[in-house]
Amino acid sequence: MRFLLDGPPTGRGTRPLVLGFLGFCLLFLAGFAAQRAAQGGLTAAGVAEHYLGPAEFPEPIAPLALWEEAHVNAFFYGFLLLLLGSVAVAGRVAPRPRAALLAFAFAATLADLAAPFAIVWAGLPAAARVATLFASQLSLLALVAAAALGYGRRAVR
Amino acid sequence: MKKLERRDYRGPVGVFAAYLALQAGTGAVLLAAKVGLTPEAIARYYRGSEETFAAPKSLTGLLEVAVPHLLAIPLVLFAAAHLAVLVRPGRGPKALGALGFAAAAVAIGAGFAVRYLGPGFAWLKLAGSLGLLATLATWVGLLVAGWRRA
Repeated sequence: MRFLLDGPPTGRGTRPLVLGFLGFCLLFLAGFAAQRAAQGGLTAAGVAEHYLGPAEFPEPIAPLALWEEAHVNAFFYGFLLLLLGSVAVAGRVAPRPRAALLAFAFAATLADLAAPFAIVWAGLPAAARVATLFASQLSLLALVAAAALGYGRRAVR
Repeated sequence: MKKLERRDYRGPVGVFAAYLALQAGTGAVLLAAKVGLTPEAIARYYRGSEETFAAPKSLTGLLEVAVPHLLAIPLVLFAAAHLAVLVRPGRGPKALGALGFAAAAVAIGAGFAVRYLGPGFAWLKLAGSLGLLATLATWVGLLVAGWRRA
């Protein structure tokens, strides 16, 4: 953490280390998307079946399962945004684009956490969860890309 | 090139604080709805109940919950404490850090104690869990207050 907040001793020397971390972030995002796809998360019908049950025998998912999913994903999203946001700062990504990327990622991931509750409890169309998956993945990929492009190229102190 | 300053990190730290609050909030809901907030409910959850035909928790089931938390909770506490100490060094954050780790150890360990040693440990589970939640809420407050001034 101090490495990120105080800046690396030599920006270029630590670039491979940071790129390794960002590579694993990409692997995590790919795995996360694959997991969601396997649960039907890429189509509105698949999302509806996962949370509301099959159309012939509708049975919404248990509230505890919703809370457990939000609890786990809040951990993942919180750490990803802290670390990717910090690497973007240390990588001297320009303040405005950086703030916009972080705000977009925060809003998208928050919407992704809230969507299942809204689908089950407030009748939000299931397609919304497909949209939040794409938005959150896109925003996190953009943060990874910005951090990777900036870090070590402009981070020499 | 402009030297990096602490305030440049306010965005990522603010987002982390918001998600820390969400983790604590969802954790509180799970504690209340799944395990219960009374010693009797906690004992029933771990040791089972003939009245409700609930089976006692298996060792595998207990470990499935405990093992991820043994990594996740210290990681969260370490990150929150580190970020808070950077902008507000002193005894307060250090004491809160120690309290958080102790509460987490009690909260995780007491579940096993209730299951295998006796229902009397349910009080310990409740105290540890509530202590951990209070610690997390305080860290969120310290992060928001400390980094606003950074």
